[in-house]
Amino acid sequence: MTGFILRRLAQLIPVLLIASFAIWAMIFAVPGGPVGMMVGENATPEEIAAATRKLGLDRPIPVQYFNWLTHAVTGDFGQSLHSRDPVTKLIGERLPATLQLALVSILVALVIGIPVAITGAVKEGSWVDRLLNGWNALALGVPTFWLGILLILLFSVELRWLPSASRYVPLWEDPNQALRSLILPGLTLGLYVSGILARFLKASLVSEARADYVRTARAKGVSERQIVGHHIMQNALLPFITIVGLMVANFIGGAVVTEAVFTYPGLGRLLIQAISTRDYPLIQGCIVVILVIYMAISLIVDILYAVIDPRIEYR
Amino acid sequence: MTPLLNVRDLACRYRVTGKRGETHWLHAVDGVNFTLDAGRTLGVVGESGCGKSTTAKLVLGLQPASRGRITFAGEPVSATRDSHWRAMRRRMQMVHQDPLAALDRRLTVGEQVIEPLIIHGLKGGPQTPRERALALFDAVGLRAAMFERYPHELSGGQRQRVVLARALVLDPELVVCDEPISALDVSVAAQVINLLQDLQGRFGMAYLFISHDLKVVRQIADEVAVMYLGRIVEQGAPDDLFHTPAHPYTEALVSAIPTVGQRDRKRIVLAGDPPNPVDRPAGCAFHPRCPRATAICRSEVPPLRPVAEGRLAACHLVPAVSARSAAA
Amino acid sequence: MLHPVPGSTGAAPPLLSLEDFTVAFAQGAGRTRVVHGIDLTLQRGEALGIVGESGCGKSVTWLAALRLLGKRAVTTGRVLLNGRDLSGFSERELADVRGGRIGLIFQDPTSCLNPILRIGTQIGEALRLHRGLTGKAAEREALRLLDRVGIADAPRRLRQHAHELSGGMNQRVMIAIALAGEPDVLVADEPTTALDATIQAQILDLIRDIRRDTGMGLVLISHDLGVIADLCDRVAVMYAGRVVETAATQDLLGSPRHPYTRGLLAALPSLEGPRVRLTPVGGTVPSPDAMPPGCAFAPRCAYAEAHCGNGIPVLQPAGTGHLSACRRLDALMGEWQRQAAREAGRHDPVVQDLDWPNRDRQRELSA
Repeated sequence: MTGFILRRLAQLIPVLLIASFAIWAMIFAVPGGPVGMMVGENATPEEIAAATRKLGLDRPIPVQYFNWLTHAVTGDFGQSLHSRDPVTKLIGERLPATLQLALVSILVALVIGIPVAITGAVKEGSWVDRLLNGWNALALGVPTFWLGILLILLFSVELRWLPSASRYVPLWEDPNQALRSLILPGLTLGLYVSGILARFLKASLVSEARADYVRTARAKGVSERQIVGHHIMQNALLPFITIVGLMVANFIGGAVVTEAVFTYPGLGRLLIQAISTRDYPLIQGCIVVILVIYMAISLIVDILYAVIDPRIEYR
Repeated sequence: MTPLLNVRDLACRYRVTGKRGETHWLHAVDGVNFTLDAGRTLGVVGESGCGKSTTAKLVLGLQPASRGRITFAGEPVSATRDSHWRAMRRRMQMVHQDPLAALDRRLTVGEQVIEPLIIHGLKGGPQTPRERALALFDAVGLRAAMFERYPHELSGGQRQRVVLARALVLDPELVVCDEPISALDVSVAAQVINLLQDLQGRFGMAYLFISHDLKVVRQIADEVAVMYLGRIVEQGAPDDLFHTPAHPYTEALVSAIPTVGQRDRKRIVLAGDPPNPVDRPAGCAFHPRCPRATAICRSEVPPLRPVAEGRLAACHLVPAVSARSAAA
Repeated sequence: MLHPVPGSTGAAPPLLSLEDFTVAFAQGAGRTRVVHGIDLTLQRGEALGIVGESGCGKSVTWLAALRLLGKRAVTTGRVLLNGRDLSGFSERELADVRGGRIGLIFQDPTSCLNPILRIGTQIGEALRLHRGLTGKAAEREALRLLDRVGIADAPRRLRQHAHELSGGMNQRVMIAIALAGEPDVLVADEPTTALDATIQAQILDLIRDIRRDTGMGLVLISHDLGVIADLCDRVAVMYAGRVVETAATQDLLGSPRHPYTRGLLAALPSLEGPRVRLTPVGGTVPSPDAMPPGCAFAPRCAYAEAHCGNGIPVLQPAGTGHLSACRRLDALMGEWQRQAAREAGRHDPVVQDLDWPNRDRQRELSA
């Protein structure tokens, strides 16, 4: 098992190298290059030469990349061009907030999506199933920004139960306050994703229910409840894990709209701000962090898969 | 006369990765020799994993052999897909077990029978492609009205007839049949077996007939080869071979077939499963399951050699006959 | 062994019987009936073979009787187990019967086992449900069962999964699961069709052995008359959703009394005897939504006459414990008996009767 994890980690290294090179090279796509960005359009040749030297751009390209990489590995992506703060510090403020929101959102999605999928699969073809299909379509069809605004209008403006603008409060410091801030954005994201998860899991449950081993379980006298819970569910969960992993990864950098509606300090919004101000070091830092989290999640999914499915050999 | 098909020392192995990433070799086919004359039928029988289907693919040049030589009508068969390969493929056709999978469900069956003529650019002869295809529909016992139907509109037996018509439209000299009737019901299977025999009588092609069903092979073959773990263990005329098997494996295989006729026949039940071709037992590959194995069977590979007139067997316990006494 | 005449009122009630049993599948708004009123009985300890071609309803009948086909299958008629009608049972009561009184095994053993559960867990589930065994007691019993079905190295196998075992071994595991509930009858649906010949022989031997030890009844569903002949006391031949002939195995194979059964036997290639051209049954099985009127076999039958198209033929006596559903039974039986008398010199009744179509032809030529 340890060997399996180490081998999978080793397989990630070339992917990371190629991706990091692309991210690093992005800086040269800017008009005027990194120097122009630093010194502005009306700089004198002396200023440009000084900046070039300072940025190390007079050295050979492999050396430049290697320098950037060694810094990046230690978490140093340089300074934000905009705020002059270290990129690592800016990301470090946002990352826990993002992870916290992702956690709450996926929990909401699972708590809604799994029962909907199971009920729909068990009652396939009935009016309950059609009703739940409609519910899923609604969850998928309602734009998140609109749902977010609706929730704010209802719970913050009308009922005054919850804050309209969410702040980041660490869960371990003040769980009550943290949850009050997370509940609306978490519901907004979670509801949408619950539609995806429910559809996928139901399809997977329905196809597993037709498998020969389910007939064997029935022929053994296993009750319907146990057939669904013990036999069908466990097999249907295998492909489902992949989708859940993808959705969690998607929350890390892709929850921009929801973060904006609730003015939540997430990584997605930071990235968008960085892009709109052409803050390249910050863009690079955000993308590297999102990429690493993405790969970590897919590694965890692979490991879960290998643990649950005996047909997969630790290779 | 040179045989139509001559297979010498044919072998095919695959690389498989073991649990800890180590490399093993799976010997699917491991030194097979046989010849097939024009217009004759060689039946190849054996259980799953014995290499009979791989042999079929190698013979057709659908996959490369790792050793050995195949000669078809005096020319070497290779798996390189060049013009030579295509020209040769015209003369050797294949019929599979599952006719629905072999047919394109979006085309009418008529179009599919014409298609090979168009692919190979054959217009020669007095017939148009459509006339030629209709003539074959007639030969395989399909009504002309079926021509415009789609595969899913036909029954299993009719689909297999379409596949046969398509195989025969190019007038091949060899048809390789891989379990062609295994998916068919008893009453329909008999129709197709008779049809295969009639078509051979009429068009004179040779069959390489692969099957796990001894009864069907006995019905259709002029000669039978029994395969076990990638090798031929016995070969001979069907009635001789099935009535007085020389090799203990053939004997067990024959006795394992439940028949409606002899209910209280003594059956030899072999212990265990056929071994994995990845770790083939030393000596005679059959020795771990053989009720009569002796010391030599565990250490030495028995060669396939003549044991009676027209009969070959690979077993240490069956006395060989010299070529002269076999001829006498 | 005695075989009571089906339908006769013997002293012991049959273990299992189907009475006027039908199965239909819901299709859109309508229903397509695939089994049209079957009467079958299985005596305690008896082995009954059900033979027929695909689509004849041989598997559907038994799966539907145990409600294993889901809601799309609609049944009528009665399924009696020890005199109690299963069709009135609740799901919970029926679950006790399945795997308890009635064990089942199927065609493709590897896909019939749950891929992610250990073999031991899957046997243990049946032991818990039907024998109340858990923990060490269940493990001991599971080991004994694996040993009983001839699986060596049982402690290791209990911890393995289906993909690590061969098809033959998985079928042995399926039999062990079926035996876990100590059933009165095993329903085996094409149990050896997916297996190689030498493995098939092993499994048939195993089932025979277990029956000898336990007296368990057997319903063997197969397309292969050879397999049926190997294990069964009595055979029912099904065609297009009906039983067309039933008799003691030797009787049915030796002197078949329905044109379809005779056709099936003549279509079988054989390993013995001289190699003769097969006599196929012409045409194909009718589809359930396009059934011919009257006898469903009439359009393919060499002996059919005009009146075969009027009304469904019923099973009628054709010898001791022998029933056949053919409207021309009396006329044909006379004909077949005369043939048999003429050929009495031949010792093998099967081969003798298998030659019947050829002999018909010879007679025509000599006439």
